[in-house]
Order: sequence, then C-alpha cells, then structure tokens
Amino acid sequence: MSAFHFEGLVWHWPIAIYLFLAGLSAGAVFFAIMLKHFKLFHEAWHSPFVQAAAIIAPIAVFGGLGILVFDLTRPLDFWKILVFYNTSSVMSMGVLVLMAYQVVLFAWIACVFHVRIGQLLGNRLAIVRRLLNWLVLQEAAITGILVILAISLGAYTGFLLSALIGFPLLNNPVLPLLFLISGLSSGAAATLLGGVLLRGNPNGVEVRFIHGIEIPLILVEIGLLFTFFAGLILSGGQSQVAALNALGFGFWGWIFWAGVIGIGLTLPLAFNLWMKVSADRKFAYVAVTASFSLLGVFLLRNFILYTGQMTGT
Amino acid sequence: MQVSKRQFLKGVGALLTGVSVYGATRTLQADSLLQPEPESETKYAMVHDENACIGCNACVQACREANQIPEGVTRVKIERKGPFGEYPNQSYRFSRVSCQHCEAAPCVRVCPTGAAYIDKETGIVAVNGDRCVGCQYCIAACPYQVRYIHPETRTADKCDFCQKTRLAQGLQPACVEACPTKALTFGNLKDPESELVKLLKAKPSYRAKVDLGTRPKLFHIQTIDGEIML
Repeated sequence: MSAFHFEGLVWHWPIAIYLFLAGLSAGAVFFAIMLKHFKLFHEAWHSPFVQAAAIIAPIAVFGGLGILVFDLTRPLDFWKILVFYNTSSVMSMGVLVLMAYQVVLFAWIACVFHVRIGQLLGNRLAIVRRLLNWLVLQEAAITGILVILAISLGAYTGFLLSALIGFPLLNNPVLPLLFLISGLSSGAAATLLGGVLLRGNPNGVEVRFIHGIEIPLILVEIGLLFTFFAGLILSGGQSQVAALNALGFGFWGWIFWAGVIGIGLTLPLAFNLWMKVSADRKFAYVAVTASFSLLGVFLLRNFILYTGQMTGT
Repeated sequence: MQVSKRQFLKGVGALLTGVSVYGATRTLQADSLLQPEPESETKYAMVHDENACIGCNACVQACREANQIPEGVTRVKIERKGPFGEYPNQSYRFSRVSCQHCEAAPCVRVCPTGAAYIDKETGIVAVNGDRCVGCQYCIAACPYQVRYIHPETRTADKCDFCQKTRLAQGLQPACVEACPTKALTFGNLKDPESELVKLLKAKPSYRAKVDLGTRPKLFHIQTIDGEIML
C-alpha cells in the first residue's frame, strides 16, 4: 500500500489544495477585518498587510474553485452545481456559502479601498461612484456578514470531509473546528508574508497584532489535534485503527510528526514567542515563520485527506 | 460606527425572528395542512445466500452484458475469503458486494445536484446522469464503496437492480437469472407472498454495516461451513 495510491482512495491531492486555499482565503479575510476594526480604522487601506489580504483572499478562493472544477469528471457541467441545490448536502450548502462569500468579499474590498477607487475613477462612471458610496454606508453590515461567511467557509472545508460516514478518521466532530482554526492561522501567515513582501514594516503594529492572535491559535490547534486523535483512539474499533495507522511510522506518520507538528506548529510557536520577548522583528523572521506555518497547514490538509481515506468502517 | 453597529444587530435580529416565525408556522402547517404522501406498494430488495454461492462470477458477467458495463469497473463483485480447513476438505466464503439500495442512502444525502436519488416508486437508489457533474462526493460517501465513475459517460454509476435494462421489460435482474445455484433472490419487500419475504422469514440473514444507520436492502444469509471468525 503506497502513500498516494491505495484501495478506497477517491479524493486526491487537488482536493487537499482546494481545502487549503479555501481556508487560507477565509483566514486572510478574517485577519484583514480584525486589523481594520481594532487597529487601523480608516487608515487600513494604506497598510501593506490589508492590501496583501485583499489580493490573497480572492485569488486563493478563485484558485481553489478552479482546481475543484478541473477535478470534476465533467468540468463543463460544473454550472449544474450552481443551478441545482440539495439542502441535505454539505457540498451544495458550501457552494451557497462560497457564492455569497465572494460577493460580500468584493463589496468589503470596495468599502476598504473606496478612497483609492474613487481617485482612480476620477469623474468617470458616476453610477459606480454612487454604488461605492452606498456600499460605504453599509460597511458595518457588510463587515459583520463577511466575518460570519469567512468563519462558515473555514469550518465548511472540515464539514465536507466529516460528512463521509464510511471513514472514521474523517467522520469526526472535531475536524471542522480543526480545519477552521488551522485555516485561520494559514490566513494569518499568508497576510504576514504578503505584507512584508509588499514592503510592510516587519516590526509594525499589524505584525504585533497578528502575532498576538497567532500564538493562542497555535496552542488551540495543538489542543484540537490532541483531542482529535485521543478521541479516535479512545473510540476503539476502526477509529483506533485509523488513528494508529495515520500516526505510525509510515510516510504519513513522518509528514505528521515532522511536517505538521514540527515545522507547522512547534517552530512557528517558538519563533513567535522569541519575537515577542526580543523587541525587534526582522523581515526574515516574519517571512520564515509565516512560510513554515503555511507549509504545516498545507501538509495537515493532505495528511487528513489521505490517511482519512485509508481506513474504512 | 456605533449607529451602524446597532443597525447591523437590528438587521440580524430581524432576520433571526423572521426565520424562527417562518419555521414555527411551517411546523403548524405540517400538522394541519400537509397530507403525508401515500407510500408506494413496491420496495425492491435482494438476498444473497452465501451457502448456495460458489463464487463462479456468472452474475458479474451477466450484469456486464445486460448493462453494458465497460472493462475496469463493475456493478457487482463477489468477495472470496479463505480457504478454510485442510485439503481435501477445503471451503471458501463468498459475499456479494454491490449497491445496497439504502433507505437512508449517504450518497443521496451528499449529492450536491440531486443526481443521486431514491426512486419513490420502487425504493431503488438510482443516478440521474444528466444531473451528475462527477464531483465524486457520493463515491467517497458510500460506506460500501460500490460506486464508480463510468469511463464512457463520466458520471457516477452502480447497480440499479437492472431498472433501466430488465425490470422495465418485466424481467428479473440479470445476476439473478444467471446464477446457476439460485443463490440470489430478488423481490418486493412489501409483498408478504413474494419469494424474497418468505426466504427472509425462513432463514436468519444479516446486512452489512447496519450500525451506520443506512438501512440497506441487500440481505445476506450467512454460510455455515468454514471456521468461526472473530
């Protein structure tokens, strides 16, 4: 039995990339909103970190959906998912969330950058300016709805897998929470990395604010991973078999212990704590820490997807 | 900012009130106005008698021909366990793996477009190929792992008790006809006079993975030879 090809494997790595990108988009949006609401206020549109999030969030969600469409066996029929709905299907409801999320995301980006968009428009397209002004009036509602949609999207990537009752490792109530929290932390990492690449100050207020949230997030994620596997092992039967298979000495065991736990959680936590006590944050520190976090979350998505399908009921 | 926050909260409150009022009135309607749909008189099921089965795979071949199933995929498999005992007194165990036509079918629940559905007339779990986009969610969701993507149509496919090919002509499913030892029995669960119901009442049977709550309609009569398995 090889790590990437085995009996019962249905969904493979493109799905893992999609799950990763959807969570990343939701996380980036979440942190951009937090930055604007608690730290930057009306100055948010100047911040390279908010700009980075505003670029990353739409691209990640489009990229993820693009991969999803190409992974269908009938890609040209994808529009049927948008036309026909099934309220009992997690995927179908997720499509609704994704559609609403994209609309509200662009409305929010327009609100945040309305000054810049107004400058670019000049005296052209009065109708667009009127729409923009109306959106700005609705900003609080748009922001509130977008927070709800981003959290829904982050959790949905987990619910999608936990609805598969034939696989005990996936059919697990902790999975949506685990994917939500790890998705948020990947969004934070992407926002930091994009921000410093756009010449944001690695010692600025945004980095300090995001790191302040990221340390508890990592700790919660470690707690959730522990709960996830302890719960499986204590359930006995095939749940236990699935957990021990995943965590054992095989390829995926190494990915989990070295990749997810080592590179993805322990090192970023250590770096974050180090940066917290040393007064000075440098570009390399911020960029490397964020890259490790991103890699860890990406490996976690693959690890859960593949090991989850290895053991059936 | 404070004003807009208050407005937002008001809006959310109004929305929640609306949803709950709608929900509450709907439940009242359900009691008084909505008539329950009359249940169909037909609910097809199948029994595989593992004592009679010799693992010859005639059912697999017959199904392939009747439903034009391409190479590389199959609607029905006979799984072989064994051998048990010492030569010359050796035996195998055979069990049928195919769509269980669950009453609470996970494939139907997860299908985003409704391409997977339960036919109300017959209780058969079927696929509407025109609706299928090939997301493979049903294939991942089926705990019996009997669904596959048809290599030619690129849509999800599986056993449908020959609904499209033979039931329509008043014939039994191809596998049932083809079985040389009469190990397969097909019929109407709701008809107390059917062979199927008589057999189920005469012999103890089991169904696979009932603990998942799928309520499958493929019954197995357990073999009595071979060793006791723990």
